[in-house]
Amino acid sequence: MRKILVPIKRVIDYAQKIRVDSSKGPQGVQLKNVKMSMNPFCEIAVEEAIQLKEKNKGAEVVAISVGPKQCTETIRTALAMGADRGIHIETKPDVRGDYVDLQPWAIASLLKGVVEKEDAVDLVLLGKQSIDSDCGQTGPLLAGLLNAPQATFAANIERGDDGSFTVERETDTGTETIKLNACGKPAVITCDLRLNTPRYPTMPNIMKAKKKPVNTISLEDMVKELGLDLDEVLTPQNEVVEVYEPPPRKEGETVGSIDELLGKLKEKGLVA
Amino acid sequence: MFSLTRRLSFGLRYTNVPSRRNESNSKKLRGPAAQDVSYFRSVLTRPSHGVLDGTASHDVKDEIDKKYNTDWTRHYKGSSDLVLRPQTTWEVSSILKYCNENHIGVTTQGGNTGLCGGATPISNEVVLSMEYMNRIYKLDEYSGVMTCDAGCILQSLHDYAEEKGFLFPLDIGSKGTCQIGGNVSTNAGGHHFFRFGGMHGTVVGMEVVLADGRVLRLNIDNSEDGNNERTHQFQQSSASLRKDNTGYDLKQLFIGGEGTLGIVTKVAVACPALPTSKNVALLVCNSYNDVLQILKTSKEELGEILSAIELIDSNTMNFIQKYGAGNGDHLMTELLSSETTSKQPLFILVETQGCNQESDFSKMDSFLTSLYESSTIENGFLAQDSKQIEEIWGLREACNPSVAQAGYVHKFDVSIGIESYMEVAEEVSDALKKSNLPDLTVCCWGHVADGNAHINIISGKFDGDVNEAEAIENIVYSSVMKRKGSISAEHGIGQSKRKYIGQTKDEAVLELMSQVKNLFDPNFILNPGKYLP
Repeated sequence: MRKILVPIKRVIDYAQKIRVDSSKGPQGVQLKNVKMSMNPFCEIAVEEAIQLKEKNKGAEVVAISVGPKQCTETIRTALAMGADRGIHIETKPDVRGDYVDLQPWAIASLLKGVVEKEDAVDLVLLGKQSIDSDCGQTGPLLAGLLNAPQATFAANIERGDDGSFTVERETDTGTETIKLNACGKPAVITCDLRLNTPRYPTMPNIMKAKKKPVNTISLEDMVKELGLDLDEVLTPQNEVVEVYEPPPRKEGETVGSIDELLGKLKEKGLVA
Repeated sequence: MFSLTRRLSFGLRYTNVPSRRNESNSKKLRGPAAQDVSYFRSVLTRPSHGVLDGTASHDVKDEIDKKYNTDWTRHYKGSSDLVLRPQTTWEVSSILKYCNENHIGVTTQGGNTGLCGGATPISNEVVLSMEYMNRIYKLDEYSGVMTCDAGCILQSLHDYAEEKGFLFPLDIGSKGTCQIGGNVSTNAGGHHFFRFGGMHGTVVGMEVVLADGRVLRLNIDNSEDGNNERTHQFQQSSASLRKDNTGYDLKQLFIGGEGTLGIVTKVAVACPALPTSKNVALLVCNSYNDVLQILKTSKEELGEILSAIELIDSNTMNFIQKYGAGNGDHLMTELLSSETTSKQPLFILVETQGCNQESDFSKMDSFLTSLYESSTIENGFLAQDSKQIEEIWGLREACNPSVAQAGYVHKFDVSIGIESYMEVAEEVSDALKKSNLPDLTVCCWGHVADGNAHINIISGKFDGDVNEAEAIENIVYSSVMKRKGSISAEHGIGQSKRKYIGQTKDEAVLELMSQVKNLFDPNFILNPGKYLP
């Protein structure tokens, strides 16, 4: 195996409560001083890439992220887990990665360019979706743009000696097994929860990670290098009209007895 | 209970002489009778839920025995036949006034998670459960003061405060079950004692009902109290202020008073702003000297964002692996396969909480780098997201429940100088090996930065031999006492440590404590058989 490319996304930590900030407009969300982490499905993708690297000596794991300068931290985490090098496509600080500005089409277009530039990429592992935009589109779009074989919602991945990948895939009705044959294009696989448990960055690896190279390039420069159109990349395909919180749950009423409960239910016309 | 008189080398002596006046006073108490039950029914707004009469049916008696007469450690069993569950302060006041006039003993109970049997009746006292007094009144967004009922479960206070951008300053393993009234009454310490201080500082106000039924409002706002028609009977109250230096600070007596001076019905607690950036790392090191270095370095490198440092020893970690890890299995495997020079490595949890993710992370990074490069730590696991943070804390919170499943636990909670923290566990371990007590494992974990060690000695047998218990207590307490430590750092006295208080406090102190008890509860109805020797 030669190269495994793992696109990762920096998102609001899954345990954090998202607060709408209407002072910033209809799409405003409280982003200041909010804990950010690597998207949980991307963590799983990184873990899988490293496990494959451990089974296939000589494979190189490249982590890539599109986002503001703090993304370098996210890439460092991937390096501390065992990735070999990182690519950071840096966006201006106010560009939102949670669907409002950057959307899967733009990301997939950038990734296509990177895959072709890197050359020798055998596998692209992505999280099945990000927890902020919940699209699940980047992987499939990338596969389409590359004309590459794809399998989504992977719960198990096995690599054959002939370079093929056999993927067990989660569906609503059960597990489906798909074989992606080696065909000269990288396999594109998106990762689901059951695939693995991401490891912790440990001290020896955290220290090694400090010396691993991270190539930072601005979005504008990358777009130029790949021969894409900046406007096309930065103009979202879909417009987010409004972001709002779900209506608060109404407080329940406590009643003192079964009779009272029955009375209330009758009152509300829920019981004859 | 112990009928031996044995003098140990520095003055600890067991006797069976009931000391002080407290025992004779509590002998005048009686349990509740049928007419008492009728009275209680008449003062409770929901008697069907508020009165559990064990004499009425086997089912009710069973419920009382299981839920109220037995403590969490299952060491203590009371024989109460009556549980009262009031909903308002006025109900508590009526109950106590009646019990005081009729010399009926009352044991107050919150979440029943205490580790010293303090909330378990010693015989047939009335159990007064605070579980239905669980309203949260408000949280002042400027001062951060939260006002709530004493029966609120600690976790619910955390959740409420978090919604509003605040952090409840007390955090302990039992937070899913324990109630704030109990926490206040036992002056609970917890994981964040190091950062936020104890209840004596964070509790700014409280409402307490005295033995004779009088209600004291100490720097607490009562405007949301639903019993406005009764309030004209009660004393003046004030809004919960952060500072008020007018008069003796009476509330301090009730904090840690374990329900022996009055029943806490409401509390006002000052909550700090919710830190938005949290980092947790689990470190592996070879010896306690390394731990001391970690403590020093943490103060230098992490400074004001350091919020917790907890120690777990190998024996404990092995029990957690066997009985407790659950979701932390993955972490446990990686942890126990760390290469260490020592066969008994020590594990240290370090947590930081601050308000700037970048600068906090950079501090944590330079802290870990400094420890690793100086070989102070063999390995470190840095949580990269909330899930891993919860997992690491999960290991620390699994200490107590895991050892409880491993056998019979002789539980100790001691305070020692930080330098000597592990010495007690090591000395006890050696002494136990030399004695003829078989098959005992000494586990040590706890709030190392506070000098607070939870020493748990696990016996393979489940029968709790009294002689063995006494011998072990001797060994542990003598080791603590010779280092001038405390035999109860944060768990309190309850039933289990009463006899030691008599031997470890000055005569003048004991005399004054006794007088205070007499002043607040002359008929000794509140939590009889507990706390004072």
